[in-house]
Amino acid sequence: MALLYELAWRALHAILHLQRALVSWFRARLCSWNWRLWKRAVAALLVPVALGFQSRKKLGPPAARRGCRRPRWGADGRALEKLPVHVGLLITEEEPRCADIANLVVWCMAVGISYVSVYDNQGIFRRNNSRLMDEILKQQQELLGADSGKYSIEFLNDSTQTQENHSNWQVCKPAVLSSDDGKHSIVTAARQLCRAVEQRERASKDIDVHMLDSMLRGRNWLKFINVLVYHMKLHVFVFIPLAFLILVDLNLF
Amino acid sequence: MSWIREGELSFIEKLTANILKAGPMPKHVAFIMDGNRRYARKCHVERQEGHTQGFDKLAETLRWCLNLDIREVTVYAFSIENFKRSKEEVEGLMELARQKFKKLLEEQGNLEKHGVCIRVLGDLTLLPLDLQQLIAQAVVGTRTHNKCFLNVCFAYTSRHEITNAVKEMAWGVEQGLIKSSDVSESLLSKCLYSSGSPDPDLLIRTSGELRLSDFLLWQTSYSCLVFQSVLWPEYSFWNLCEAILQYQLNYWPLQKARDQHHEEQARQQLEADCSCVAELLQQHGSARPAEACNRQDLLLSYAVDRDQRIQGFLSALQHKKDSFFTDLTSQAVLA
Repeated sequence: MALLYELAWRALHAILHLQRALVSWFRARLCSWNWRLWKRAVAALLVPVALGFQSRKKLGPPAARRGCRRPRWGADGRALEKLPVHVGLLITEEEPRCADIANLVVWCMAVGISYVSVYDNQGIFRRNNSRLMDEILKQQQELLGADSGKYSIEFLNDSTQTQENHSNWQVCKPAVLSSDDGKHSIVTAARQLCRAVEQRERASKDIDVHMLDSMLRGRNWLKFINVLVYHMKLHVFVFIPLAFLILVDLNLF
Repeated sequence: MSWIREGELSFIEKLTANILKAGPMPKHVAFIMDGNRRYARKCHVERQEGHTQGFDKLAETLRWCLNLDIREVTVYAFSIENFKRSKEEVEGLMELARQKFKKLLEEQGNLEKHGVCIRVLGDLTLLPLDLQQLIAQAVVGTRTHNKCFLNVCFAYTSRHEITNAVKEMAWGVEQGLIKSSDVSESLLSKCLYSSGSPDPDLLIRTSGELRLSDFLLWQTSYSCLVFQSVLWPEYSFWNLCEAILQYQLNYWPLQKARDQHHEEQARQQLEADCSCVAELLQQHGSARPAEACNRQDLLLSYAVDRDQRIQGFLSALQHKKDSFFTDLTSQAVLA
């Protein structure tokens, strides 16, 4: 009987894997057939659908009358009443394509999302930071065209960048994270607190959620999302094709 | 309604269970039992009735898990954030908890028969004292059972759990049981409320919400997360099977990621030990760098000492936790 059950189990999994493979193949065919159209359709459909907001403001007459040729996603972003401030992209593919991730970052920027963190467990993008940054800048030009000048990117991993005043621009701050940025950061903070206790600078009973929270948030946004573990309490998960997992931070609406 | 529903699976359910069990099965499943209030609205009943139905569904789900050889289940019963709900609802939930824990104490025989160990995870000091005492009696009464484990997260959030673990390690340093250099990811895991359990293999959230809501954030780094749209009181055996299938489809990639992480942890521990040994040698004023074999011996000796310190600290911590429950039980008996 055990053998029969095992055969049934293998047959069931074979069917499910075949179904997954067919869906991926079909998706890839659609993508290659008309890449640009596909990208715009995905951007136009997935961002508002994924964020799940029902109410949309209608675009006022002046915008429509101007007849400006802004990308569709820009209009979608302005039409939404609520927009996340920070989106995390968890990449689950073993060999992620730089161009795909750069597209997502630029779409986020165009919709009006200020902070985007890209995480992959292997740390591929952390090690090849500059390649991703170059790709994002390239996609910014390609996708946003004449409007690309209205958007400024500040890479939070790039300490050589000077902080300019971008008050009139839409600023987007992408950051690249890896597994070192998760639990490791909490452990580092814990060690610091224990050292302070060891040196009698602090008592253990003084440690509370707010203290740890403020240590982990640090002085800049990179440290804020640095600890995916600690800060994921209210994050909404959005699963999309292309083996991405998106986290949307509800805390910052 | 009892905590554990007696009964067997139907023929089709048994057949499905046997097919699923031919593949890798999760040993520990965590549930975020969401959707009680929406269910109550849908069925036009009181909220309290929705929560009661939710509890009944928990009892049924535990039976399915036992039938599927899933020996450990963790459920998110009440979040610290839930204290912000209306006073009426919070009091209703506390009263439901009182009834259920009283019922559990009446079912000690049944729990012993099935070997069920109940653990309650959370900051129990936030709860009314009488409920704390009932919980303590349930935990102490089932402490020695070891066939299956039910962890109920009550007055719990992951942030509080992590902070509490850091606080316990700081206490250990304060007491001179461990050093700050002993703090590691592995030690922090052993100081969590859930230290007695392995990390969940599978986490299921019902009602269609796509978030974790501060539940087991530390423990589920390498768990399969399954979000299902069904409301918790309507959860079925087939929903559970669907979740297990998802787990099986993602088993190998998750296993690989977990193994890589363990290797990385071991490497980091070795690195930390090396730098501690180097620091100690410097402090003791060694003019010459230690010979390679001496260094190896020192490293080994340091690791053994570190392990002993940690074992001593963890025993003291466990004693502290056990005393908390035993003191509450004594108070309940005296009252």
